[in-house]
Amino acid sequence: MNDTLHVVQKLSDWRERALEFEQEIQKAVVGQARVIRLVTICIFARGHVLIEGDVGVGKTTLLRSVSRALGGDFARVEGTVDMMPSDILYHTYIGEDGRPRVDPSELLRLAETLPVFFFNEINRARPQVHSLLLRLMAERSVSAFNHVHHFPYLNVFADRNMVEREETFELPAAARDRFFMEIPMRAPTDEEARRRLVFDPAFHDTETLIERVSSGSFDYRKTPEVARAIQTHVKSSEALERYVLNLWQALIQPSSAGVSLPDIDLSALIKGGASPRGLAALVRAARVRAWLEGRDYLIPEDVRDVFIEVMSHRIFVDPIHALRGDDIVKRLCHAAFDATPVP
Amino acid sequence: MCIACLAFALYTAFSASAQDVTVRIHLARPFGYFVGDLIHARIDVSAPPEALLSRASLPNPGPLTGSLELRDVKLRETVEHGARLWRLDLTYQNFYVALDVREIEIPSFDLAISTAAGAETVKVPAWRVGVSPLREITPQKQEEATDYMRPDGSAVFVNETTPRNLAIGAGAAALLALALVARDRAWPPFQRRKVRVFSALANELSARRIESGDGDFGAAIQSVHRALDAVNGATLLSADLPDFLRRRSEFGPLRADFERFFAASKRRFFGGERSSDDFRADELTRFVSALAKRERAG
Repeated sequence: MNDTLHVVQKLSDWRERALEFEQEIQKAVVGQARVIRLVTICIFARGHVLIEGDVGVGKTTLLRSVSRALGGDFARVEGTVDMMPSDILYHTYIGEDGRPRVDPSELLRLAETLPVFFFNEINRARPQVHSLLLRLMAERSVSAFNHVHHFPYLNVFADRNMVEREETFELPAAARDRFFMEIPMRAPTDEEARRRLVFDPAFHDTETLIERVSSGSFDYRKTPEVARAIQTHVKSSEALERYVLNLWQALIQPSSAGVSLPDIDLSALIKGGASPRGLAALVRAARVRAWLEGRDYLIPEDVRDVFIEVMSHRIFVDPIHALRGDDIVKRLCHAAFDATPVP
Repeated sequence: MCIACLAFALYTAFSASAQDVTVRIHLARPFGYFVGDLIHARIDVSAPPEALLSRASLPNPGPLTGSLELRDVKLRETVEHGARLWRLDLTYQNFYVALDVREIEIPSFDLAISTAAGAETVKVPAWRVGVSPLREITPQKQEEATDYMRPDGSAVFVNETTPRNLAIGAGAAALLALALVARDRAWPPFQRRKVRVFSALANELSARRIESGDGDFGAAIQSVHRALDAVNGATLLSADLPDFLRRRSEFGPLRADFERFFAASKRRFFGGERSSDDFRADELTRFVSALAKRERAG
């Protein structure tokens, strides 16, 4: 009983600091409250993130701010078509003595202190690189210099180039399913935020901007413990569990659950995805959201709030529809919510 | 028949055997009766206040003579000026086919009265009325048959404006009332009216007589959720309330009730502090009734 009370108190304290963590990031990233909330959920759910957004909307600034607010290091690689896995693990160069040298890459050097690893334009890299990244995400470890390196606090953030199709390698379904969330990041719609971004010189200098964020407002070394406590402590009622399972059924077999979309044959739409891992990720994210909202129990709003970001990139539809983008998946998700009763 | 208002009244007073019992006979007129005419007479019998009239002694309707019939007898009893008054309204019919002007006799009859002095018989005497023969009319010769007819009386002009307006107004009101009834009962063309989800639910809940403590209460809350989903067109969560109330403004005044309902539902189905749950079955029933009322008004 005392242990439980202790955990409850610690979770309450951690929540206060998590909210401060969000506010610190908002000092550098304006008009992106939703994105910051989702990133926060991923941090405390220990989930890796696909960020989808146009160039120049502030993805790097966001991730550097996150890294600074967590008090850890930040590493970034740019995906290229000729990149090989060894380029991520090893730093090769010609030494002063003219002999070739192989040192650990930045990623390996920062392994113990790295909470944010940003892989920019992941779909420009070849599948071999994807393969390495999948292991890094799944096991938080890689093999290099003939032994295993662990990344105990790592969260991978990957960006996809959605504009160009040439010399890109689309992430396979299995790789996309490993990502906890796909977070869309758009330019702010708020006029005041837009004005500040364009006219305020503070937003033109990223280095100065990042310094606005207090370093270590939430210690990244605490995140694994906090994530475990959240998942253990935030409860789900029988009604909520039934609701999530019904939602799952509505995604797998939309027609049987009374889900319909105009002009679309749903019986042939879904080709894969909505995996048990995806549903588990959904519940993990919902629990973190409930914790951030100050609750120790899940409500349907928690599930719905994160559903699109957690599930839509894991649902694979018939190629005919896939060519139309993922709008149809989002429509399917909304239709599933509309048709699934609760409680 | 109203003898009291006739222009001609015959007054006849007869002294009865008892000193303070009097009989008066009133006639509309004592002459001018043709065959088949009705002869109306009123007999007023005045007696001491304690006197009683035996109904059995009243004359019975029926033939009296070969040419006279009593058609109707009505009796009223009052007290006037400290004396008891029996008012007999008699209707005779004359069947005497007179060939000349003469008088016929209306026969007498007896009435039995009980007074303090004992039983008495009061005689209503016979009286006479004049009868007249029916004769053909011999008018002056006319060339046209229509000239024998009296001219039509001039028609009275009636202004139809007011009655016509009243009729139109009444007709419009009747049509409006019919339309309202048809709408209420979903008669054509109102059969496509939106289903009254909350009205049906309110009836169902009142029939189930739910209690706060039993399992039915949870089922009742769920049925309210399903009704809200149906009205919303999709599953309605508490986070959707502001948007829902903006779209369905008729439910706007119930915002506080909505919030209490959703909070109670959350506590019951998803967790939280339930010891503070004071949301009872009667409050749920009132909430649904209020929703039904708003639904009808909307």
